Amino acid sequence: METWGGTQRHLSRTAALMSVALLGMSACSGAATTGAPASAGAPATAGAATTGDITWWGWTPDATNATKLIAAFNKDYPGIKVTFVSKPIDSYDSVLGPAITSSKGPDVFDVAPGSANGGVQTFAPGAVDLTDTITAALGSDWKTKVAAAGVDPMTSDGKLVGLSVGAVYSGWMWINQDIFDKYNLKAPTNMAEWKTVCSTLEANGVGCFVQGAAQWAFDMDTFEAICDNIEPGLYIQATQGKVAWTDARFVKAMGIWKSLFDEGIMQQGAIGLQQYPDANNAFMAGKYAMVMMGTWYTQYAVKDSMLAAMSAAGVSNPTAMTLTPVPFPDLAGTGKTGSMFGDADYGFAVSAKSSQQDAAKIFAAWLATSQTGQQAVANTLNQIPALKGIGAQWDQIDLVNSTKQQDALKAYQQAASAATEPRFATVSADLNTAFRDALIGVATGDKTADQALAALQAVPPSK
Amino acid sequence: MSTASLQEAPGRSVVNAGRPGKRRSNRVGSRLAGLPWILPAVLLVVGLIYFPIGFTGYASTLDWNGFILSTPKEVGTANYAKMLGDDVFWQALWHTAYFYVITFSVQTVIGFAIAAVMHSKIRFGAVYKAIVFIPTVLAPATMAPVFRQIFDQYGQFNWLLSHIGLDSLTRPWLADPGTAMPVVMFITVWQWTGLTFILYYAAMAQVDTEVLEAARVDGASSLRVLRSIVWPMCRGTTAALAVLGLIGALKTFDIPYLVTKGGPNHGTEFLGTYIYQTMVQQKHFGYAAAIAIALLVLAVAGGSIMSVRNRRAGRDQ
Repeated sequence: METWGGTQRHLSRTAALMSVALLGMSACSGAATTGAPASAGAPATAGAATTGDITWWGWTPDATNATKLIAAFNKDYPGIKVTFVSKPIDSYDSVLGPAITSSKGPDVFDVAPGSANGGVQTFAPGAVDLTDTITAALGSDWKTKVAAAGVDPMTSDGKLVGLSVGAVYSGWMWINQDIFDKYNLKAPTNMAEWKTVCSTLEANGVGCFVQGAAQWAFDMDTFEAICDNIEPGLYIQATQGKVAWTDARFVKAMGIWKSLFDEGIMQQGAIGLQQYPDANNAFMAGKYAMVMMGTWYTQYAVKDSMLAAMSAAGVSNPTAMTLTPVPFPDLAGTGKTGSMFGDADYGFAVSAKSSQQDAAKIFAAWLATSQTGQQAVANTLNQIPALKGIGAQWDQIDLVNSTKQQDALKAYQQAASAATEPRFATVSADLNTAFRDALIGVATGDKTADQALAALQAVPPSK
Repeated sequence: MSTASLQEAPGRSVVNAGRPGKRRSNRVGSRLAGLPWILPAVLLVVGLIYFPIGFTGYASTLDWNGFILSTPKEVGTANYAKMLGDDVFWQALWHTAYFYVITFSVQTVIGFAIAAVMHSKIRFGAVYKAIVFIPTVLAPATMAPVFRQIFDQYGQFNWLLSHIGLDSLTRPWLADPGTAMPVVMFITVWQWTGLTFILYYAAMAQVDTEVLEAARVDGASSLRVLRSIVWPMCRGTTAALAVLGLIGALKTFDIPYLVTKGGPNHGTEFLGTYIYQTMVQQKHFGYAAAIAIALLVLAVAGGSIMSVRNRRAGRDQ
């Protein structure tokens, strides 16, 4: 009969053999997972794993574009499997928080600057510092090679939390060119023209401008566009505490904001609707001819993305509509139009709990810093790429109506690339909330412009 | 064995009544032996209910964004002080109060009336019962988009109004705080009247038919029977529904959040929606926890007061 001591010795031997076997396996695995990437466009990440199975969580891009980006990545890194999990934007923070405290959560996740979802400051403790990764990929002067929107806003207490993939900008509107052409209309350039366009459209049973004003982030876009029309940069100065919100110029801006409701530019019931899905769906369904959206809408100039978006909006057997960007009208009568403002749309953070950080960093660095990855980003038309000097390859993009769209889209992307003002990066969560009460309060008539602006002024400026 | 000890424990078996010291030690021993049996349940209740409440109480003293890896800052009672000076908090409380009074009253009247009708011999009664009860089992998340569509500017409700000559009443119902709250209350009544009906229906089945027959013999009309006999005999059900309704009103979240997001301009804000917005959108986890504690205190206090009043009323009767 075997004694307990004998059993112990037997178990020890077994454990030792298993350890050796595991070490051997990991050594073999290590040998198999090192080596140069398959393409010259890939980032320099010597010694990093080229196999792995990683999960990416994000609220953006949509599934169509995520699939395209992953497919492009897999041409360079066929051994790293990436699974994209799309999370709803409004519950992103609440699901991400617990997930990245566990090794079962995502390896790579979207982060964004400022007070929006996936805030860099909020999730910094759950992410690794990516400074070494970007330095290895772009060199020590990496800050000069990427857009400024992807540097400081992606940093928290000296830690680079996310690698900016690209930026989004707002400040212009989008029109359904097919509807405008049908009624022989031109995009409005001032309030009088806007009212005329709306009258014509409504006389023909088509809605004019749609906004889901209950989702106030888009109200803030419209308000910032109005402020920029009055004086470019004014809005940002106020968010930084350099100009008081109670300044007469903001009183004027609030008056213009209110006039959009009083003059019938905003559709009836705007403050009862969300921008997503209500206004987006109504626009995609062709019920309205104009909408206040940003550069992320550029992706719908592409035929397959537009068809997918129209189907998602409930249109059966859709015919792709021609989408065109137009500058925000000169409502203040200053002639200062066409400016845009934006932030890094999203950046890739690598979870501190990830067991596959090497593969995760490879993916993040490839998409955010390599020529190939950034070209793939540019060609989705979802963001303006983070890496300077990369633009969309128009000849490779299947636009809905190239003749009508291409020049407008090029001008739009040039304006976006030239933009220097942030969108939400300087807006604190408290100011964001105060904006909700101020803009919706003025729109409903529950607050005067002075009351609303005094409430904004009461919020401490962001640091 | 003394008479006094028998009186102290009237239901106890005489066989077990030995010497007081020995009996007490037996009792203590049997209680200790029973403890392991209830331990899993105690751990479950403490772990799932009391620990989260305690943690929420602790979180209410913090300035914290709610992310477990970030460092919170102790702020003492500052969140409670902020809450008392917060107009939106009081607005949400006021909404809860009148939402409760109106929805509870309407549900009670409709639920009681339908239950009474169903107790008369009507054809297709089972079908009507199913129709009334089905909304109760439908998830609000499923129905919210439907109601958003119905009460939209171009929705079916306005279509109906314009087709019956009431064009002047058409409006974007969810875009005006004055009409959005009635819509939220309408949806709540639509959803929960089925439950009220079922409970009244069951309570009415317990009413002694001899009492009803006696009333009939005395010449009472159907309405008089309902008012003077059935309604008082359903008092326990009404009391239970009142307590459940109060707690439900304090916890109201899904319908206003899904239909109006608490807007427009806080017009349909409730404590639940405000807690969610404060916690998730503004990332003031500590402040949201303070409001949650206020909600807990209100729910426990309200429920207790109503239970005590109902018990007293029952005794007086």
